[in-house]
Amino acid sequence: MTVALTVYVLMWPVIVFGVLAVIAGNFFKEMREARRQGRPMI
Amino acid sequence: MPPASDGATLTTLGVVGVVVLLLVFYGGTMWMSVAISRRKENADSYMTAGNKIGFGISAASMTATWIWASSMYASASAGYTYGISGPIHYGLWGALMILFIYPFGKRIRSVAPRAHTLAEVMYARHGRSSQLMLAGSNVLGSVISLTSNFIAGGALIAILSPLPFGAGILIVAAGVLLYTLWSGFRASVLTDFAQVMAMLGACVVIIPAVFFAAGGPAMFEAGVAAGNVTAEQQDFFSSEAFMKQGAPYIAAVLAYAIGNQTIAQRLFAVREDLIKPTFVTATIGYGGSVIGIGMLGVMALYLGITPMDGDVNNLIPQIVAEYLPLAVVALAFLMIIGSLSSTADSDLSALSSIVMADIYGQSKGRGNADPKTMLLIGRITMIVATAAALYFATAKFNILDLLVFVGALWGCLVFPVIASFYWKKVTNAAFTVSVLAALAVFLPVRFGWFPVDGLWGIVVEALCVIGVGVVLGIMAFGFFGPTAGKVVGIAASVAMCFVAFGFLRDYLELSGALVAYAVSFLVCYLMSFRSTQEFDFDRIKQVTGDFDDRDLAATADEKQTAAAR
Repeated sequence: MTVALTVYVLMWPVIVFGVLAVIAGNFFKEMREARRQGRPMI
Repeated sequence: MPPASDGATLTTLGVVGVVVLLLVFYGGTMWMSVAISRRKENADSYMTAGNKIGFGISAASMTATWIWASSMYASASAGYTYGISGPIHYGLWGALMILFIYPFGKRIRSVAPRAHTLAEVMYARHGRSSQLMLAGSNVLGSVISLTSNFIAGGALIAILSPLPFGAGILIVAAGVLLYTLWSGFRASVLTDFAQVMAMLGACVVIIPAVFFAAGGPAMFEAGVAAGNVTAEQQDFFSSEAFMKQGAPYIAAVLAYAIGNQTIAQRLFAVREDLIKPTFVTATIGYGGSVIGIGMLGVMALYLGITPMDGDVNNLIPQIVAEYLPLAVVALAFLMIIGSLSSTADSDLSALSSIVMADIYGQSKGRGNADPKTMLLIGRITMIVATAAALYFATAKFNILDLLVFVGALWGCLVFPVIASFYWKKVTNAAFTVSVLAALAVFLPVRFGWFPVDGLWGIVVEALCVIGVGVVLGIMAFGFFGPTAGKVVGIAASVAMCFVAFGFLRDYLELSGALVAYAVSFLVCYLMSFRSTQEFDFDRIKQVTGDFDDRDLAATADEKQTAAAR
């Protein structure tokens, strides 16, 4: 029970880290593309 | 670990610490806003950023907007109150609602690719009364949300520094208004990226940091041995948590996701082919972070912590300040300031868009609206909305009651709005009457004006049975089409017949939401199915669209500026 609860509590930061990486990776990719094409990002 | 019952041992940031952090945060967002500012801002870009923003910004923005300070506080509160399943019954349903609305979002975008607000689309579909209902509910909802976020910011600053609540709300309001005022929605979505990085990054650090600082896995056994946790709170399938937290929330957030202009605005702004990945990423991001923050409430429960001043909203700053060093407390502070600022700037952008497009733009007509006047109106709206929210925040209005009212209004709107995008027969009269009728039945049920027993109890529970079918039917319809929607809706209502009667009357919050869905569905359906109207959805594209055609000159100017940067 203790192990299950520990995993239950600590799995969320891992998921959040994954989302953080996806969003940041795509943001900087889009920023580089915009710069290369000489247009504003937004 | 000893339970903390007062603020005497808490790590606080002090006036200098709080002021420095706020200067860094709002200075950084202001710098981002200035970096994208244009001398001649385009009115359409001010509302929807040209309808073509990329995945990175849109996913960050959707996640940041859906997470507001109250969602963090409420998830922690659910964990503390209902135990281990509490955060799931707050965060999971909130997250899934983003997922459930994306099929409708795709449909709305396909019939109105260059719209600015959902109310504007309703104007094109039905006429003025439907538009004003949606616009009015959004104005009220956004002002309430703005107020709530200012209150959360003021309270946080007051807890973690000697600065008073009034100074806190003024700093937050000024910070948000300054960076959003000039570039509107473009500033809102770009700064959302920085804010979501701060929020999600803080979640990644704070949750494990508190867990290990508070004793690690041993806290669970110690908490049970000390009698801090009831058997119900240890049950992952707690029926109490579902009935009191989860079920009412499912009905409420579906309405929030459909009715809220902040979500609709992002739907109209993102590139059309990126709607699905944006919504899916926001679903996971929202779920992970909000449920994760709810774990702080679960830990507080096992540790036997008593909320400061008896207010469960103090749990997050309290547990962080109790167990973590100053640097991590500063990170938590930025996390909450990020969450409330990102939602507050979205509310300001939503309000300005509604006034610009729905009140000024549509009253003048698309060809006659002056873009410069439109921008001025948008900026004045932001200033007035900030002043109004500051007034409500200091006047201690009961915003919870107002929030319930707006949620109900949106609940009444869900079926008529969705049906209007798929069913040609729905008329303006059916839309308007169904929303008003649903609201008229919701109010006495939700606020218990009459005892829910006898014949009235049976009527309410019968409507709840239909309401469950409507909610689940809508969800199935979005993903799998009309046949699946009907089958799921009817099956859900039939199944509910066996459990609802004599049972649901004890849960007024849930019953109120369900009757709103049921009545709006019944009235809208009964007034429409004999209608001879065959609405042409292509008409929406012709009525909604750009107000400002100064794009070509601006684009050339922008290219030069971007290349120089």
